Amino acid sequence: MTGRMNAIATNKEMAQARRRYLKAAVADGGRTRQSTALLLLDSIAAIGFAGGLAGAVVALPSGVAAMLPYAALAALSGGVRGLFAMLSARMGAEGAHQAKLRLRHRIVDAALHRAVGGTGTSGTLMSAVVDEVDAIDGHVARFLPARQAAALAPLIVLAATAFASPVAAGILAATLLPFILALALAGGAAADESRRQFIALARLSGLFADRLRALPIVLAFRAEEREAQALGTAADELARRTIRVLRMAFLSSGALEFFAALSVALVAVYAGFNLLGLLPFPVPERLSLGQAFFVLALAPEFYGPMRRLAAAYHDRQAAETAAERLSAIEAARAPAAPPTPALSERLPGIRFEHVTIRYPGEDRAALSDVSLDVAPGKIVALIGPSGSGKSSLLHLLLGLAPLSGGRVRIGDMDLGELGSIAPFAAWAGQAPLIIAGTIRDNLLLARPDASPQEIAEAVRAAGLGPLLLKRRCGIDSPIDARGGGLSGGERRRIALARALLKPAPFLLLDEPTAHLDAASEADLIATITHACAGRTTLIATHSARLAAIADIVVRLGEAE
Amino acid sequence: MTPFLASLLAAERARQRRRLVRAALFAALVAAASVLLLGLSGWFITAAAAAGAGGPIVARAFNYMLPSATIRLLAIVRTGARYGERLASHDAALGALARIRPALFRAIAAAPVTRALSFATGEATARMVQDVDTIETRFVRLSAPWSAVAALGSGVGLTLLGGGAAALATALCLGLLLVAAGLLARRLEAPGRAVQRATGALKEEFAALAEAMAELRCFGLEGWAADRIETRSRALADAQRAQARAHGWFELLHALALGIAATAALLLSAQAGAAIAALAALAAAMTVDGAAPLLRSLAQRGSLREAEARLEALLDTALPAERRATPMSDAPTIELLHPLSCHLAPGMRVALVGPSGIGKTTLVETLLGLREARPGQIRLDGVDVATLPAETLRRCFAWLPQDAMLLSGTVRDNLLLSRPDADDTALWHALHDAVLDERVRALPQGLDSWIGENGARLSGGERRRLALARAYLAEAPWLLLDEPTEGLDRATEDHVINRMTSRLAATGQGLLLVSHRPRPTATCERLLRLDLARGPTAQPGVAA
Repeated sequence: MTGRMNAIATNKEMAQARRRYLKAAVADGGRTRQSTALLLLDSIAAIGFAGGLAGAVVALPSGVAAMLPYAALAALSGGVRGLFAMLSARMGAEGAHQAKLRLRHRIVDAALHRAVGGTGTSGTLMSAVVDEVDAIDGHVARFLPARQAAALAPLIVLAATAFASPVAAGILAATLLPFILALALAGGAAADESRRQFIALARLSGLFADRLRALPIVLAFRAEEREAQALGTAADELARRTIRVLRMAFLSSGALEFFAALSVALVAVYAGFNLLGLLPFPVPERLSLGQAFFVLALAPEFYGPMRRLAAAYHDRQAAETAAERLSAIEAARAPAAPPTPALSERLPGIRFEHVTIRYPGEDRAALSDVSLDVAPGKIVALIGPSGSGKSSLLHLLLGLAPLSGGRVRIGDMDLGELGSIAPFAAWAGQAPLIIAGTIRDNLLLARPDASPQEIAEAVRAAGLGPLLLKRRCGIDSPIDARGGGLSGGERRRIALARALLKPAPFLLLDEPTAHLDAASEADLIATITHACAGRTTLIATHSARLAAIADIVVRLGEAE
Repeated sequence: MTPFLASLLAAERARQRRRLVRAALFAALVAAASVLLLGLSGWFITAAAAAGAGGPIVARAFNYMLPSATIRLLAIVRTGARYGERLASHDAALGALARIRPALFRAIAAAPVTRALSFATGEATARMVQDVDTIETRFVRLSAPWSAVAALGSGVGLTLLGGGAAALATALCLGLLLVAAGLLARRLEAPGRAVQRATGALKEEFAALAEAMAELRCFGLEGWAADRIETRSRALADAQRAQARAHGWFELLHALALGIAATAALLLSAQAGAAIAALAALAAAMTVDGAAPLLRSLAQRGSLREAEARLEALLDTALPAERRATPMSDAPTIELLHPLSCHLAPGMRVALVGPSGIGKTTLVETLLGLREARPGQIRLDGVDVATLPAETLRRCFAWLPQDAMLLSGTVRDNLLLSRPDADDTALWHALHDAVLDERVRALPQGLDSWIGENGARLSGGERRRLALARAYLAEAPWLLLDEPTEGLDRATEDHVINRMTSRLAATGQGLLLVSHRPRPTATCERLLRLDLARGPTAQPGVAA
């Protein structure tokens, strides 16, 4: 029981946190206010429309000529309403445009500066940056203006109604209370349910996507029919559960409708009986046809803004669901690093003392109690099975993995002081970054101000010569973003050339020869040996031949 | 239009017919009730005013009971009908959802294999899921035209009381509105496509940069990367804004048509008296209002058509040529004719080696029918593989792919993929032979532990060993293992190879192994070398 109470309390806190985050994320420069103002103008135009119709009906006995000015007012008001609605939609879109750009900027920044681990794979980061940021669109463009308008527009309509008939205004106001209760119901319990539903639907899409991704293996094991059936079963189950939830959700939105329709009917009946003089109770007013008709035509407008709000509730749910994930990503951003102090030595060594790395949310440490001394200018090879923490150790030096125990000394400084050795390190890995552009563009990423001689030197040292000879424009040959036409070895060499361009005392190599055949590997090892000269080098590798060039070979993951 | 998707959707519509008809009826009821409610209210008030002006006697003679009761009834009917419509249309959409996805999955799996596997890339999958979502929502909107029809019917019926001109004007307003909205919907298609393209470009850019975090750090490129992403982000946001602006026109059109219809009906039925004119004006307004659901679905039409066209184009392939099922022996021989030439007897252990990119994995995938075989390339039991149905081929092989390729699910889900009727003993046995049993036993839920997306909660070596256990379970005459020990330390590698050798000795299965590493290849009786420079050669390996 207490467990459940706690769960509810945490749910509530989480919901509040989501809302707070969302509020801060979409705070914008008054676009919502402008959009709201336009919606309010729309309500005022609706008053003109009702007035025009009422005037025309009253003027009818005097002939069509007398009706014309009123008819013109009605038609014009109708057109103006459309104009305001369109402008409000545009303004909302403008606000959403700004809000999405700002939020995506922040999320991308957080994703690029994330402390590795815990925050998910690059796939989930990608869907956060693109799809989940997009999910706030409707919240900004529709929900927020609708909510603000829903607070004010009914009051404007009510005032106009009261001007013609205070009693009719009273009827509308009296139905407002149950209406708001129904709205709260629709937005409260049912909203929570449908949020869960929203997630379940997303998971189902995920299942479909996953089985498509794994199609080769599904085909190879002749499991296509079984997996198709499993998809059907999962969807069936979801359909059954969903329809139960929807019954509740639609019931509460049905309540909204009901009060709206009922109040229109009540106003109509009241006005009719008042005009007939047959009301069974005394009222302090005697309506004219014009007043009565005006009140009747205006009555639906009283609920219009609130129905618009209810319709935008889905937008809000989508945004809140996204907010949860987005705030987690922002929370996982590494704190802004203070400017890195200069190294105290030209070529320092690195000393790991009882280092433990444990990613947040993981049971097992990726690396525990590792001590290792890398003397200045030496090469250390880290070997060991995948998952033994080789890459984690390199990532630790770049601030991409958390130091959970022990300490790391860089020369006579502490890694904590430096934050990261990234400013003093060059990197080459197994899947280098290749951008669309020329080979030169790709090399200049490391140091945009490198001179042609320096580039030529790096190209030579990285063994890129044969590649450039093959290409018509040499170093200015274009390559596409997927690195089309480059072999695995050529990509590694581009990465190495990049690393060589940066005059850094540390060189970090992560599986620089993985998935290469023996001959390509041997070629590359010779190049790497050159590249390491005069630098303190750490190489994570599975390759015994690459490890052979190291001064020290450290085997990780076997002590336990 | 190629029939696959169209006929799938038609079949679903037929299956969901009852619910869809119910939704349409309710939608029509909503629209008609709205028109009648407001029209009748207008008439009631105006007639009541006239009666009231005639003094108490006239007022008492006025039949107020029937109209006022009808007004309240209509209010209730409208509410109830809208509830029914929503429930029925969502019911239909969910029912369709439970059938469309499996059907699509079957269609993709049955497509020619190169086409089928083109779906298995991240971007294609994401696009496809989005498109399927889009076509499923159309089931919710199928009732929209009926709402418009009912609004038109009841609206014309009521305004006819005010004269033919008023009815005609109302119908004309609605018709013009729909024509204009149709034209507008066509103009919306281009911005819709632009949004799709910009989304894809942003995803690609981000994915490429996020993979290269270490390089970004070392070369101080975070700001540069953020700028590149920002450019794509802006392009996407601009495209979305353009789309939203185009949507805004629908609002303008609708309000304009509503205002004009009400005014025109009022003026044109003036000769019928104030009460009827009031009725006509409000009924005309609600008639145009009843088209709102149809307008919404018109606004979505572009993206719906896009999604349908894309799916149809993807599925628009002749089914693979029917191939005669050829009975295979329980342990077929493999003859490689090109580029290698050799004969592999059942139960043999063979290593396929050669530089990366030479086509070892391609050969394995061809054997599995995951690539089209060229005639005269490979024979299985003397029959050219190019003429065999994929089903027959796949029965002969159990595969460990180079990148393990796990399902998002539990350990058990992954193992049962290769043999759905395996019992726990068989599962543990396979895990033991893949040197993963201890690790799985240590997991909180054992076999039922969730291993994350593509096995993300396991290390690289563990994923590979789970895939190995899966291949063991399949009990096919040949094992095809692509780099089974990549990423394992030497001790584990030894362990895995030893258990593999004794398992093979027990089962008598043949082994075709692709590896760069000496330890696994050393267990093979035969070494097949694929080499570009020297041409293919076969040489005896070193038996373990």
